[in-house]
Amino acid sequence: MKLRRVVITGMGSVSPLGRGTAALVQGIEAGRSAVQVMEGWEKYIGLRSRVGAPAELKDEKLIPRQNRRSMGRMSLFAVQAAQDALADAGLDPAVASSGRLGCIVGSTTGSAISISQAFETMLPDRDLTKLSSMMFFHCLSHTATMNVAQCLKINGCVMATSAACASALHALGTGYDLIRLGRQDFMLCGGAEELHPTVTGSFDVLFATSVKYNTTPHLTPRPFDRDRDGLVCGEGSGILLLEDYEHAVARNARIHAELLGFHTCSSGDHVSESSRPAMVACMREALHDAGLEPRQADYINAHATATLQGDKEEAEAIREVFGDAVPVSSLKGYMGHTLGASAALELAASLAGMRKGLLYPTRNLDNVSPECQGIRHVMGAPERRDAHVVVKNSFAFGGISAVLVCRMP
Amino acid sequence: MTKDEIVALTNRVFEESFEIPAEKLTPQARIFDELGLDSLDIVDLIVALQKQFKIQIREDERVRTIRTLEDVYMFILTLKQESEQARPAGS
Repeated sequence: MKLRRVVITGMGSVSPLGRGTAALVQGIEAGRSAVQVMEGWEKYIGLRSRVGAPAELKDEKLIPRQNRRSMGRMSLFAVQAAQDALADAGLDPAVASSGRLGCIVGSTTGSAISISQAFETMLPDRDLTKLSSMMFFHCLSHTATMNVAQCLKINGCVMATSAACASALHALGTGYDLIRLGRQDFMLCGGAEELHPTVTGSFDVLFATSVKYNTTPHLTPRPFDRDRDGLVCGEGSGILLLEDYEHAVARNARIHAELLGFHTCSSGDHVSESSRPAMVACMREALHDAGLEPRQADYINAHATATLQGDKEEAEAIREVFGDAVPVSSLKGYMGHTLGASAALELAASLAGMRKGLLYPTRNLDNVSPECQGIRHVMGAPERRDAHVVVKNSFAFGGISAVLVCRMP
Repeated sequence: MTKDEIVALTNRVFEESFEIPAEKLTPQARIFDELGLDSLDIVDLIVALQKQFKIQIREDERVRTIRTLEDVYMFILTLKQESEQARPAGS
C-alpha cells in the first residue's frame, strides 16, 4: 500500500509569548522570558516552586456562549489556536464539516483549574447539588479536542492523546498516520495545557521543578546549563493543520513543512526516570521512518526541560545518534514547559525560525553542564543556517518517548 | 422577600450566568425559544437559583412546568411563601 504524503499547511499558537506564531517567534528573537513570579502560590503548603509562564487569555468572548460554557481555560486556548491554524492554512471553514477533517488535541489532564474548582465546590459538604452541569465537560481528559470539534463543527475523526509532555507529539504522529493511511484528508493536531499550582505541584513533589530562581524568574528554566534546577510550567495551545500533500498542492497552499517520519515508544523501565536507550531507539526509528540518516538532520529541537536527569539523558542520546554535528536547542527557557502543548508550540516556532533562516538558541544556557556536552548547542544569538530537516523530541513521565521528523520545502 | 426583589435577583442570574442582555428579560420571555437556554443550561439555572435564593429546587417537580421568566419569578415567590409559612410563629 502506498502511503500518502502529509504536510503542515497551517499553524496556530497561543503561548506565554502571545497569541500567534509571529508573536511567539518575535518573543524568542527578542530573547524575552515569559516566566514570572506567580502571585498567590505562596498559600500552597509545600509548593517550593513559585514561578510559571502564564499565557494571556483574551477575546475568548468571541466564542459563542453555547460553545464556550463547556470550555475550561485550556479549551479556550485550543479553540483559538485551531481557528488560527485554519485561517493560516487558508482553508474554507466548511471543510471542517466535510467528514474529511479530524482533530486530535492532547493534554495532561482536563482543565486543572476546573478540576480543582469541582473538588473545592463538592468536597467541603460532600454536596453535589452545587456543581455546574459544565464541570464534567471542563474536566474530561478529551475536553480540549471535543471542544475544538464542537466549536468548529468538525465531524471527522476526533480523539485525544493523553501522554503528559508528549501529548502534542502523539497527536501529530497519530494525525500523520490517519492522513497517510487515507482515512482523513486534514487533521488539526496539537496540544493544550493550563497553568495552576496543582500542575506545578505535581512536578514539585517529585523534585522536578525549579526552586532556586523564585526571585529571578527570567533566569529559569536553564536547559542543558550547569546551574539548571528543574522545569517551569507554562500554558497555552499549539495546533497544526496537517493536510494530504496532493490536496495541498492542488489548492496551491503554502506548505510549512512535510512530515517525514514519526515514532513513539515506551522505556518499559521506570515511570519517572528518563531512559537514554529508549530515547536513542525512538530517534533512530523516527529517522528510519523518514528514510534519513542522522547526518541529514539540520536541527534538533530538544525536549530539554532543565531537569537534572532528563537533560543529561537527552544530551547523551542525541550524542549517541547524531554525534556533535547537528545544532541542538531547547525553547523552554523562553516560555517554560507548556507540557501537553509543548511539542506543537516548539515545532511551530522552529519552523517559523527556519523559514527565516534562523535556529533559535537555548535561552539561559550560559555554561553547558559537563554531562550535557558533546552535542552542538545553539547558544547566545540565533544561528543563521539554511536548515530544512528538523527533528522534534518529546519525552514524558511514564517512560514515553516521541520523535517527529519534518522537512521544510 | 418581595416579588420585585425576586425579579431583580433572578434577572441578575440570567445576565451573569447566561450573558443575556437586560432588555431581553421581560416576564413573557420564553426561556428556551427566546432566551436560548437548553437542557444543560437549566441544570445550571437551578444551581444558580438555589445559591441566589438559598432554596432547594433540584428535586421539585414544579420546575418541569416552567416556560417563561414569569414562571420562574412565581415559582421562587411560591417557594419563599411556603418557606415563610412553614417557619414557626415568632421565629
